[in-house]
Parts: sequence; C-alpha cells; structure tokens
Amino acid sequence: MRLLGIIEKPNGKQLLVQDKERFFIKEDTEKNFSNYSFLKNRDKNIGNPMKKGEGVFNFRYGPVNSGVGEAGIFNICTYGERIISANIDPSYKKRGIEEMIKGSNVKKALRLSEDICSNFAFSHSTAFLRAIENAGKLHTDTTTKRIRIMALELERIYNHLFVMARLSKGASQNVLTSHLEGLFEEALRTNRRFSGSRFLKNLNGLSIDVSRLINMDETASRIKNIKDKFTELYRHSLKSWNFIDRIYNTATLSKDKALDIGITGPSLRATGADEDLRKYEKLYKNFTPRTEKNGDALSRMQVRAAEIIDSCEIIEEQIEKIKQEKQQDNKIDLSSISGDGIGACESPSGLVVYFIELSERIIKNVYISTPSLFGFKAFCDSLEGHIFTDFSFALDSFGINFADCSR
Amino acid sequence: MNSWALFGITKKLTEKFDYPPMKHVKKIGDRFKKSIHLYPIDVGNDGALNFEMTAMAAPQYNIHRFGIFFTDSPRHADILLILGRPTEAMIKPLKETINQLPEPFGIVALENNQETGIDIENLNLPNLLAHIKEEIDAKSIISLLLGIMEK
Amino acid sequence: MIYLILCLFVFGSISGFLNRKVSYLSAFFASILSFIAGFEAKFSGYIFVDKFRFLPNIYVGIGIDKLSGLFLMIASISWIAIALFSIDFGNHYRKRMAIFLNLSIMGMFLILAAYDAIIFLAGWEIMTIASYLLITEHEGSYKEAFQFLSFSEISTVSLIIAFLSLFISNGSFALLNIHSKSIAFLVFASLAFIVKMGIVPFHTWLKDAHSKAPSNASALLSAPITLMGVYGLAKIISITGYIHIWGIAAIIMGSLSAFWGAMEAAVAKGLKVLPAYSTVENNGMILATLGLSAVAYSVSANSTLYEFAFLTAIILSIAHTTSKTLLFLSIGQAKEQLNEESIDNVRGIHKSVGKIPALGIVISGLSFSAFPTLIGYVAEWMLLESIFQSYQFHSILDRIVSSSGGVLLSLAIGFASFSMVKLIGYSALGYNHDKVARKIPTFFMHTSEIFLIIMIFAMSFFASAIFLNLGYSKFVIGALGVPNRWLLASAKPVFGVISPAFFAIVMSGLFTVPFIIYLKNRVKTKKVISWNGGLALKEDEYFSASAFSFIIKFILRFVYMTKEVERENYAYVVTNDLFESFYALVIKLFKKAGYRISHFIMNGKIHIYILYILVTFIFIFIYFGALS
Repeated sequence: MRLLGIIEKPNGKQLLVQDKERFFIKEDTEKNFSNYSFLKNRDKNIGNPMKKGEGVFNFRYGPVNSGVGEAGIFNICTYGERIISANIDPSYKKRGIEEMIKGSNVKKALRLSEDICSNFAFSHSTAFLRAIENAGKLHTDTTTKRIRIMALELERIYNHLFVMARLSKGASQNVLTSHLEGLFEEALRTNRRFSGSRFLKNLNGLSIDVSRLINMDETASRIKNIKDKFTELYRHSLKSWNFIDRIYNTATLSKDKALDIGITGPSLRATGADEDLRKYEKLYKNFTPRTEKNGDALSRMQVRAAEIIDSCEIIEEQIEKIKQEKQQDNKIDLSSISGDGIGACESPSGLVVYFIELSERIIKNVYISTPSLFGFKAFCDSLEGHIFTDFSFALDSFGINFADCSR
Repeated sequence: MNSWALFGITKKLTEKFDYPPMKHVKKIGDRFKKSIHLYPIDVGNDGALNFEMTAMAAPQYNIHRFGIFFTDSPRHADILLILGRPTEAMIKPLKETINQLPEPFGIVALENNQETGIDIENLNLPNLLAHIKEEIDAKSIISLLLGIMEK
Repeated sequence: MIYLILCLFVFGSISGFLNRKVSYLSAFFASILSFIAGFEAKFSGYIFVDKFRFLPNIYVGIGIDKLSGLFLMIASISWIAIALFSIDFGNHYRKRMAIFLNLSIMGMFLILAAYDAIIFLAGWEIMTIASYLLITEHEGSYKEAFQFLSFSEISTVSLIIAFLSLFISNGSFALLNIHSKSIAFLVFASLAFIVKMGIVPFHTWLKDAHSKAPSNASALLSAPITLMGVYGLAKIISITGYIHIWGIAAIIMGSLSAFWGAMEAAVAKGLKVLPAYSTVENNGMILATLGLSAVAYSVSANSTLYEFAFLTAIILSIAHTTSKTLLFLSIGQAKEQLNEESIDNVRGIHKSVGKIPALGIVISGLSFSAFPTLIGYVAEWMLLESIFQSYQFHSILDRIVSSSGGVLLSLAIGFASFSMVKLIGYSALGYNHDKVARKIPTFFMHTSEIFLIIMIFAMSFFASAIFLNLGYSKFVIGALGVPNRWLLASAKPVFGVISPAFFAIVMSGLFTVPFIIYLKNRVKTKKVISWNGGLALKEDEYFSASAFSFIIKFILRFVYMTKEVERENYAYVVTNDLFESFYALVIKLFKKAGYRISHFIMNGKIHIYILYILVTFIFIFIYFGALS
C-alpha cells in the first residue's frame, strides 16, 4: 500500500491510497505511512532539514538558475563540496492550478490539467479524464483508449530522450548530447504531426475522434526511425566510460527507501520493483515492466532507455490495431454527472493520480498527486553524501521538474 | 555498425536556412547585429518553454550559425527571455535579474498561451522588445530573435 | 649606547608600573636606538665589546659584531612596530603587559648583544619568561602559555648543555670570534634553536600560544622571537663552520617543516592559527636554506651557491619578520575591534574595521604568497633559485635530499598562496558582515601598520641595495637592459635574474597609463548585489572559509586525519595535526605513568613510607661512606 496524498475536505483529512491497480480513499486514521509528514508539507518544503555546525552553510541554488532552468530553490547544506542535507522550496513555481480547477467545469479543468506540466500534459489529462469517467461511470471506446496509449507512449519517448540528453550533457558527452537533442526535437515534431501540438496538448478528450489523426502512417515511420537511431546511440553511449562512471553509483536509492518514499515510475523500477500501472491494462499486449537492480542514476537511465524502445514498439502495434478496428460511436452526456472519482495514469516519471469530486458538471474538489513530488523527496534523500558535481546527474536521472511538483 | 567517431559526422542534421525574421518586433540595435547572448528565466511557465529551450540547442536548428548563444549568467546576457507569466513569488527575482543585466539589453517575454500568473504588461518592464502571447515553438523563437537582430 | 638602550628598557619596565604609555614609548625609543646600534655595528665597523671578570677565567659582558648587528636591525624593525602598536593596543590590557613587553624585548636585545654564553642564557630566559607572562595576559590561556614555557625550557636546557660542551672544548664562555668543533655543542645548540623556531615536530606550542596570546604578543612571539632561533643557527655556523651532515639534516627538517606548516595553514580555521602555521612554514624555509648553504659549502667552496643560500636565509628572515609582524598586528587590530576568533566571522574588515588594517593583511598576505614588488617575492625567488642550483651537487645523497627538499618547499609555496588567498579573501576582503567594530584609539596602530607596509615595499624596491650593503656585490649586476646595480643575480656566472625595483617601475608605468586613460574615459558603472539566483544572500548562505579548504582536507585526508562528523542536527569536519595527536598521546602516557608511580609510592600506607625512608637513609649512608 502506498500513500499518494492527503486530501483536505471540509470534514477533515482523507488519505489517497494505492494498492497495486486499486486506488481508494481512506479515512485519516492511519498515520503509519512513512511519507505522511513530507506529503503534508508538499507545498512548502520537500526534503530534509538543514544542519548546523562549524563552516556549514546553505549553498542555495535558485530560484533563477541556468543549470536547472526552472523557478525553484534548492537548499543544499554543506561544509564544502560534500552535500550533507538538501531540501527544495517549490513555492516559487506554484501557480495554484489546483485551486483554479476547483469550481470550473470539466472542459476548462481539462485545459488546466494540461497546463500543470507540459511535458506530462497528456498523462495529466488522461488521469483527469479517467477520474471523470470513474466519477460519472462513463464508458470509453476502445479506439480512444488506444489513441491515449499511443499519445502516452509518445510522451514517454520524448521525456526519456530528454532525460538521457540531460544526463549526457552533464557528463559533457557533446556528440551524444547533440544526437539525443536531435532525436528529442524529432520526437517533438512527431508529436506535432500526430496531434497538432508539440506537447500533445488539446488532443485528449472523453472521446477522441480518430479522423482527426491524419498522419498516422507518417507517425509510424517517424517512430521507427527514432527507434533505430536510438538503439544505435544507446549502444554507443554504454561504451563511454567517462559517461558511465559519472552516473554509476550516483544518487543510489534502495528498494526499501523507494517504497517508503512512495516514488513510482522508472525510478522505482530501477531499484528492482516491477510496478507499472500499464501491466494491468488489457490493451497493452504482453506488457512486462523493465527493471534494474542497482537503483542508481545508471539504472534509471537503463530503464528509461529500454522503455523508449518498448514504447516505440507499443506505438507501432497500436497503430496497426487502430487501423484495423472501427471506432465505436460513443456519445457522452456530461449534463448530470456527479460523484467522486479517482483516475490514474503511468506518466513517463511515475504515477499521476487525480481525485475529483464532481457535482453538476462542476468540480468541487480536486487532489493531484504528481510523480515529481516523490521524485524530489527521493532526490534530496539520495543526494546526501554526494558532492556538488553529482547534483545534475542526481536531479536529471529522476526526470522530475518543478512545474509538475508545485502545480 | 559505424565507429563512434564516424557515427557523429556521417549525417548532417542541420536544416537549411529558412527562418524568416519575425516582423513587428523592436530591434535591439546595431551593436548586436552579428550575435546575441540569451539568458532564459523561467518565471512560472508550464514547462513547455523550458523544453523548447532544449530543443533550440538541437542540431537541426544549429542556432550558433545565426550568432545566437545561451549564457549561464544574466550578467553576460544581451537578451533576457522571460518564459511564461510570472507567479507572485517570482516577481522579485525577475526584477533583480533585470537589474543584473548589462546595458544595453533587451527583454523578450513569451507567454505561450498561459492562463495562470500575472500579465507581463502590468510589470512595466524596461526595454521590452517583444511580447508574444500565443503559443510559440523553437523555430518561431529563432525567427523572433532574428527579427530582433535585424537579420 | 648599548647601556643607554638597556637603561631605556629597564626604565620602560619600571615605568610600566606607573604609566603604560610612557613604558611603551620607552620601548619604542629603545628599539629605534637598537636599530641604530645594529646599523653601526653592521656597516660602520662598530664593534663593541665590554667584558668583565665574573669568575676566575670566566668573563661576561656585552659585545656586538657584524652578524648580531644585522639581526639587531631586522629584529628592531619588528620591535619598533610592536612597541608603537602597543601604545594603543595596550589600553585594553593590564598595565603589567607593558612591563613584560619591555622585558621581553630587552631579553632579545641581550641575546643579540651577548658577548658570552651566560649573558646569552640570561637574555634567553628573560625573553622566555616575559613572553610566558605576556601570553597569560590573555584570559584563559594558561594551558597554552604553559606549553610554550615547557617547550622553551627544553630549548634552555639543551642550550645549557651546548654551552657547557662549548666551555669544555674552548675553555671559555665567550661567543664572539671563536671557533669550535664540538659535536655536542652543535647538536644541542641546534636543537635549542629549532625548538624556538617552531620547526616540525616542535611546532605545536607555536600554534596554540600564538592563537591565544594578545596580538602584540603573538607578533612578538612569531617574528622576533623565532628570529632569535635563526640568529642562533647563524651563530652556530659562524662558530663551527659549515658541516655537511648538519646541512643535510637541516634541509630535511626545514623542508618538512615548511611543507607541514603550509599544509596545516591551508586548512586552519582560526584567525591567528593560520599565520602561526605560516610561521612554521617560513622558519622551515629559513632552516632549509641554511642547510643548503652548509651542503653547498662542503661540496665546493668555489661555488657561489653557499653564499647565495645564506643570503637567502637572511632575506627570508627579513621578509618573514616584517610581513609576519604586519600580519599579526593588522589581524590583531581587527580581532580586538570585532572580538572574533575565526576567519569566517571577520569578513569584510575593510568595511567594518578600516582600510589600513585590511591593507595590512592584504600586503602581508601577498608578500607571503610571493607577490611581485613585495619583499616576500624576492625571498621566495631566491629560495627557488637556491634549490635549482643544487644541480651542482655530486653525491647521490645530496641530490636526493636537495631535490626532494625542493619539491616540498615548492609545494609549501603553493599551499602558502592558497592559505593566504583564503585569509585575505575571507578576512580583509569579502562581503561585509554588518558587524560593528568597537571604537578604540587607532592612531599608533595605523602608524605602525603603515610603517611596516612601507618597509615591505621599500625593502623589495631596494633589494639590490640591501645585497650590496650586506657585502654580496657579486649578486648585483646589470644586464638585459636593466642598468647596473639594479638586477639581482642568483649566481656567478649568472644563473637567474630578477629586478624587483625595475619590475615595480615598469608595472607601475603599465598600471598608471591605463589608469589615467580609464579615469579620462570613465563611464558610469552599474552597481548591483552579487548574483545569487535572483535573491540577496542571507547570513547562512555565505560560502564559509572552511568550505573553501574542504577539498584539500578531503584529498589529503590521510595526512590531516580528516573526519567528517554527522549527527542528527549538526555536522562538521575535524582535522588533526598528526604531531599534536602524538604529543597528546605522550601526555596521556606520562599522566598515566605518573599516576601509577604516585599510586605506588604514595599509597597511604605508613609502613611503606617508613620502608622508603629507611632504604633511602641506608643508600645515602653507604654512598657517602664509600666516598669518604
């Protein structure tokens, strides 16, 4: 069982809990989840408290920085070179989207959910729509589901490519970085050809009309091209000792620790746990999660690299299926849906979970559990004992960002 | 399988020069005709523009041929790229960053169709060369910069 | 004149009971007079000897020759500055500090002006005990003062042994114009002086005493008192001549000491611990060059290397004495006004305390890191040139010792620059702490600091004049477009050259012209806070001085015995001086043994006491019975 969030309600707090593929709400009686206290402070401070001592100071990084590029503060406690404790302050990036969703209608809320974090835009919108579907007990047609799977895998591909490019850039692998950035740009262009948006926005809906997607064949060939090129690049990259040495044994996260924090996605799978929401979905054929054992930055990169290739295959497979099947006519009536619903989705960096309370098409309450929140906690924990130069490898290998974390 | 060194040079990824300079933007001045240095600052955008910054570094665009470079400090920058609409907390750091820019400098604000945050126009920023509210991608940003440089 | 100086010191000591200003002024004038006396002795052939019979065949008295005249001059510079500085500084201490200061300087004067070993020893003890009392003037420094005293007594005891063996070999206690080949004298006298110089492994007292003592006492301890050790070594060389094996030992100990001192200075946290270790380093360099000189002489008396190495030792002494006095005085003023102990807490002295002490720290620090146009630059250039010339040595032993010593010395120079950058950057310069300095009268302090700053520049500028007047005209030439008598050469035939004066002229020209152009075309500059991610730095966000040196602590963790301690709420790094741990172990064993023995003897059992008395009585009875 994993605690994903603490939902504030007028009549007290409730816990959002996951048990394998089941997501449910629990009364706030059980405080024996080890990540309870950090989830409670998720908007103020994530990580571990500062330490004191002779010569110890806060090597603050941010809110304006060129290395990470996002508005947020890293408080790094050090006595020189060695990081003895770290925490992050996500409040600079907080845009209050959760509050904006409360009180808006489904259509506007869908748009806002995509605005939380562009690189996980489709995951967010999928999780949101699944929550709506669960709340209203709506039926979704198979083609829509398949298109969602495709888009999710497209999102996974460009995110993973981005993470790898960042890692190789951190290790000054300039040739590899250029190639990966080139592939990343290719992936973004594929997204645009596929959906009209480089970040797969404005595509998702309760029902996606397949006739909107005119470039299906081109997408397939582009994806095949990315897959071939990436396979070769990856094989080369593993031969560069300079690169591998920098990420091997860097920011190691043990399996127990990962489960304690509640982190999901490739970062969890890199520790050896084969948790992946996709394996419970029927439309994925013979899906097996990729795992590694060490839990370090290298393992996380290996998991992501394997997933890029898997995702390419899934997309090719789904395109075939979409072509064969005919889209069912699916009229959805939103006029009178109300109730609670939880929707979850396996984003490139872990679980995105939405809890929604609907009443008369208006969203009364929402709680969004994002992977970056857990990622930042894991990042702060695993960074301890490392030195400044490990910072970028630790951060980039988790594939997390402030936009996702501070909503 | 090509060897690693050859793999890097057997393909030309850079695309042909077809980036028309964007019209209706203020010019920064003759001094920066040949090259400009950018400092992007995220003030609370949804991440898309940050990703576009990475995309701009991709070999397809090869921005260095236009004389466009990224710097790591606002003190070395000619142009401040404001990514997104600022959150309340980021206004003070944004003002300080502008304060750190050497003169002459220019500011380009990209809102990328964002709904959250404060409108840049309310902040009265100095030397605002362009203020794009629509969605924008890497290629258009390059066009925009070329427009500013008068290429 | 000598007696006038002594009288002035005595007067100063006595007037210390009445008025400290008069007392310090008296010390100041006496120091000026002793500079003049030294000058006369060195350059005017003024040899003063006044002896009288003390015991049959034993004469005691006062005597100054060229060597002591030279050291008298060097030491006087430091005395003058310290006495002047103390006029203001002494206000915050008790009156008796003035007495001890006078006595201590008088002790040193006696050492330098001693005709014979007895006066020498008397001066030595006066200096030691007065310094001990000076250290105790600072509150809570008894332990450190005691450590200083115990090490000093080691050197006194070995000095007594040395002089006794000199007496046995020469039949006289005279120190002027004598020669002796007594090995015991050589060994024990050398031991006595290197303990005083704070050579590794006898340096631990230095660090503790310097950091705890009042700052004028620290300056006194660090510069002139260790100079007495150098004087002693020079005296040994003049008595016994150059001895090859002594030279080898001196190079080994000196270079090790230089390296160790510089290395420990690089990680020092305390405001006065760092300069204290720098003293260890500089004295190590002096010892090594004296050793090099001895080895070079034994290899070939025709080579100019031995003379050059000896001259190097003298210039190093001059550089160290002036720069270290300045450093301690400037730091002392800042420390006194800010009431802080560690480097981290005094950031921005130039704003909080004043420009002059900050300039003092910068200039002395730069001098120690061999910045051109400062005296330290000349000294360290000479040091390196001396090392380079050890290619002349033939035997394998000489070569190995001189080259590995050279490696250590060069490393020491590197580490010294590192530590001085740290000291300058984190104390004199750096971000302002917003600490308010205590207001105290500073006129004499500033005068003394400016005097020393001028000395550091002037001595470098007139280095060739110093060379010439010291009688080393062969090392002053003119070549490469530099006029005659302006260029320093490190050997004859020429091996390496510099001209600090010419360099200074050219540099100031190169600086002045652009500076004038800059002033003419000055544009308005934008002043902003330092760039730190868009927010101003908070107090706990400044990069700390110990963090600056953490990388060395970590890389050399086996030498420093670095331990990174991490607890629930706090964390810190500890480094240890290996020798300190060694002494701690010795002290622990000694305490344990003492406890055991006392427990065995004084066990409170009456019959054991009676037995002890009885046995002792019988033993004495038998012993004296046998004698008679």
